[in-house]
This record gives sequence, structure tokens and C-alpha cells, in this order.
Amino acid sequence: MIDFKNVTKIYGGEVKAVDDITMSVNEGEFVILLGPSGCGKTTLLRMVNQLETITDGEINVNGQNVKEMDKIKMRRNIGYVIQSNGLFPNMTIEKNTMIVPDLLGWDRKKKRDRFNYLMDLIGLNPDEYRKRYPHELSGGQQQRIGVARAMASDPPVMLMDEPFGALDPIIREKVQDEFLTIQKEVKKTILFVSHDIDEAVKMGDKISLLRQGQIMQYASPTEMLHRPKNDFVSEFIGKDRVLRSMSLYTVNDLVEALGLKSKEEDIQDTKEITIDTSLRVALSMLLNKEADELLITDDQGEAHGSLTFDLIETFINREVRGA
Amino acid sequence: MIDFFNYVQNDWDNIFAYTMEHLQLVSLAIVIAILIGVPLGIYLTTNKYLAETVLQVASIILTIPSIALFGIMIPILSIINQGIGFLPALIALVLYSQLPIIRNTYTAIQNVDPNIRDAAKGIGMTTFQRLTRVEIPNGMPLIMAGIRTATVLNIGIGAIAAFIGSGGLGVLINSGISRGNSNMVLAGAVFVSLLALVADFILKFIQKRVTSPGVK
Ligand SMILES: Nc1ncnc2c1ncn2[C@@H]1O[C@H](COP(=O)(O)OP(=O)(O)O)[C@@H](O)[C@H]1O
Ligand SMILES: [Mg+2]
Repeated sequence: MIDFKNVTKIYGGEVKAVDDITMSVNEGEFVILLGPSGCGKTTLLRMVNQLETITDGEINVNGQNVKEMDKIKMRRNIGYVIQSNGLFPNMTIEKNTMIVPDLLGWDRKKKRDRFNYLMDLIGLNPDEYRKRYPHELSGGQQQRIGVARAMASDPPVMLMDEPFGALDPIIREKVQDEFLTIQKEVKKTILFVSHDIDEAVKMGDKISLLRQGQIMQYASPTEMLHRPKNDFVSEFIGKDRVLRSMSLYTVNDLVEALGLKSKEEDIQDTKEITIDTSLRVALSMLLNKEADELLITDDQGEAHGSLTFDLIETFINREVRGA
Repeated sequence: MIDFFNYVQNDWDNIFAYTMEHLQLVSLAIVIAILIGVPLGIYLTTNKYLAETVLQVASIILTIPSIALFGIMIPILSIINQGIGFLPALIALVLYSQLPIIRNTYTAIQNVDPNIRDAAKGIGMTTFQRLTRVEIPNGMPLIMAGIRTATVLNIGIGAIAAFIGSGGLGVLINSGISRGNSNMVLAGAVFVSLLALVADFILKFIQKRVTSPGVK
């Protein structure tokens, strides 16, 4: 869907921000551009919708060279979200969200229906927020509106530049989860910039790890965590890669591999969690001594047994380290 | 004081006529100044080099004493037989208004948050759409502040324009001085101030109406 062929960007004849990058993003894939500050992520992203010119090489979206497309038209057909949300202070939330449909000349009824649908999708009451202005919303709400605006005309491709970077950690987790749920429903092709390895592992189908404008590794999170291609990659992933990889698994994966224990009678300190909780969350609950055992239930509320620290350790040794 | 009120009461018809004349001159000058200054200020944001030059010229114009400016225009406009009267006064007021209007418009557009401009570009607005839907609405408070400054400035300078026969409240002040009638001078000064206050109040109201509640 998005193909980079030997793409290079040189600013002002000197700064090589992107250096001969070749990679493909398939339809419906969620790809993270990951790397330290200044490695060229934003530049690479902005060449796709031609906010930056391409010095060398070519980028094709849907088989069409972006250089040959009409800039204005193609931008209206590609969702774009930035870190500082970029909402227009002078417009109400409804106007902001519906700006692209407006530019495309949709009629009022269609715009209103779309607004209501999108607000439901991002979990905000359409009638409550319709007439408000951006400054009346919290940072997290503004960011969600930024995402809704980018999805307004239902573009097949979305470009997102650290969209959740400005949010505090707890809200960020929440908005990330929401967005993943939305993505499951809408299945967009997404190119997503992040400098946060945890975010990348959690969100991406694939991660493209960049350094000084070059790709160090382009692989799925599991692949990258288990088989880092070089020292830069393993260093970037860090020592707690095992812990990191836990967010790739849910309790259900452990149940399928090892089964659960039956609840021990003498343990008092227990807590209930559902089977689709991520193992990372489960592990941190145990480590934080929120409980000695976790009682696992499915979405019907039926008990499946209990999860202990030892079980997780066994799982790590078998599945994660051994892989 | 009683004298003054008596004077105003007796001479009310004249004072009212001069006030209207004054208002006419200043409003026409401001409308023309806006039509020139706002587009120019916007255009200058696309050309930094020209912007510096134009803003400098506008500053220099503002430092020319108004009497001198009238003096310069008399021989020039005499060519078309308009050396004194309404036209040179109008031209002077338009020139004096340019600095606050151009500078504020220019700054207003320049100061729009680059992230907002970037977002507007990134979602596919044309340059013109960006200007009318994002940049001007968000710069409105500053643009209006420039227009208000220019209006108050013009109402004051408009009084001096009476020297070259443009009419208005300056006539009261002039003839008051030459006849030694202090009530007449005072009336001229008071009504110039009142006019400025009312004009600014009305413009503030207009500013509120044309500025989105989302823009602080
Ligand atoms: N407009 C620009 N002009 C000159 N250099 C730039 C410009 N934008 C980015 N750069 C440089 O290009 C490199 C990559 O920047 P960027 O793509 O913003 O990195 P990232 O998003 O990964 O932090 C950096 O060295 C940066 O200083
Ligand atoms: Mg960046």
C-alpha cells in the first residue's frame, strides 16, 4: 500500500535526514517508525503526504507515485495526526472533526451522521461536545478528536506522528488501548511514528527501527525482541526485553501453553482478572503485591483457575527465552 | 463650566455637523486603510524581505508630523487642483493608519501556531482555505486591535486636518483659538475624545462578533 524505494532526504544540501530507505507497508498493516530523536522518522512520514519534498528515490501509495498526485487531493485522502493535535482553536469540535468532509463538499446530514459515528467510536458523547471549542477539552480528549478528524473521510491510509506523545502515561495507555480497539474495527493502513519502544511493541504489527536515517531492522515486534539484528537494535530494546515481550502475550496464551493451577485454599490474597489481560499487566500486579494469586475468569465470568508468579516464570523460560 | 454647557447647547447644530463631518472623513479613511493594509499585511507574510522594508516605510510615515505631511501634499495635489480640502486629509489619514494595520495583520498571521498551520496543510487545505478558515480567524483579535489603534489615531489627527480645510471638529478648535473662545476649543477637544471613545467601543463590539469564542 505504501512503498518506499531508495528514499533519501537531504535538507539544505547538507543534512541527510533519510538515507536510502526501502520498505513496504501492506494494506491494513500497522507499522511503527521507531528510533531516537532526530533519526528521520518525521521526515520519512511527511514525505508520504508531500509536506516534505523527496530528494531522491520514490514513494508509491496504492501503486501511484506521490510526486505525480495532486497534493491537495491526496492529502484529503490520507489521514494525518500530529503530536500537538493541531486542532483549530477557532472551530467547534464538530467543525474541527468534519473539516475534511467539509472540504470535500459533503452535505450536512452526511457530515452530522459521520460526526456522531466517530464520536461514539472514540467514546465521547457527540451532543455534549459538538458545540465546544478545543480549549475546553482535556489533552486526552483533544488527542482523540485529532484522531477522529484524521478518520473523518474514512481514508484508507493514516499517518500519525507521535499522536499520543504529549499525554501523561496513564491516559496514554488508555488512548492507545482505545485506538487499538478502533483499528481492529476499521483496519486502516497506518504509518505511526514513535520513540517509545513499549508503545511500538504494544501497537505495531511491524516495527521499522531507524538510526541516522537508515533502517536498522524492519520486523514484527516478536521477531525484533527475540532476534535483534545488530547491537544497535538490542541496545535500543534494552535489558528488560523479556519484560517488554510480556505485553505481546495475554493470559490466554499462557493458559494454552501451560494451563492454570487450581486455587489453593490457604491463600487469601486474590484478585480477579479476565483471560484476555496482557501478561505484562498480570505480572506487574503480582510484583506490586496487589495479590498473591490472580483468579482468571473469561468474559462470561466463569472461573478458569489461578495464576501465580511461578507459572509466569515457567512461561517466560519456555516461550519467551526459549524462542 | 456652566458657560461651557450653555455654549454646547446654543451651538449644538454646528457641533453636531462638525462631528458628522469628522466621522465621515475618519470612517472613509479607515475603510480604505483596511482595504489596503489587511491584504498587504497578509501578503507580506509570504515575503520576509519585502515585509521589513514596507514596515520600515510605514513607521517612517508615522513619524512625519501631520502638519508637515499636509505641507508636502499641497504642491503635489495642487496639480489636480486638490491641494487643500478633503482629499489631502483623507490621503494623510490612510497613510497614518497603515503602520498599525499592516503590522498587526502581519504579526497576527505570522503568530498562528505552526502546528496548526501544519495540520491545515496536512489535511489538504489550499493556501486560500488556510488563510480564510484558519489563519485570519485565529489572528482576528490582533488584526482588530490594529484597526482600533488606527481609528483612534485617525480621529485625533483628523482634528489637525482642519488646517487644510477638510472640515470636522478641528474647525471648532481652530476658530476657537483665533477668536480667543476657550469654550469653543474645549468643545472641539471634548467631542474629539467622545468620538474616539464611542468608536473604540463600537469596534470592540464588532471585534467580539467577528472573533470565534474559541480564540482567546
Ligand atoms: N526543516 C528542516 N531543515 C533542516 N533540517 C531538518 C529539518 N527538519 C528536520 N531536520 C533534521 O533532519 C533530521 C531528522 O529530523 P526528524 O525527521 O524531525 O527526526 P525525528 O522525527 O526522528 O526526531 C534531524 O537531524 C533534524 O535536525
Ligand atoms: Mg519527529
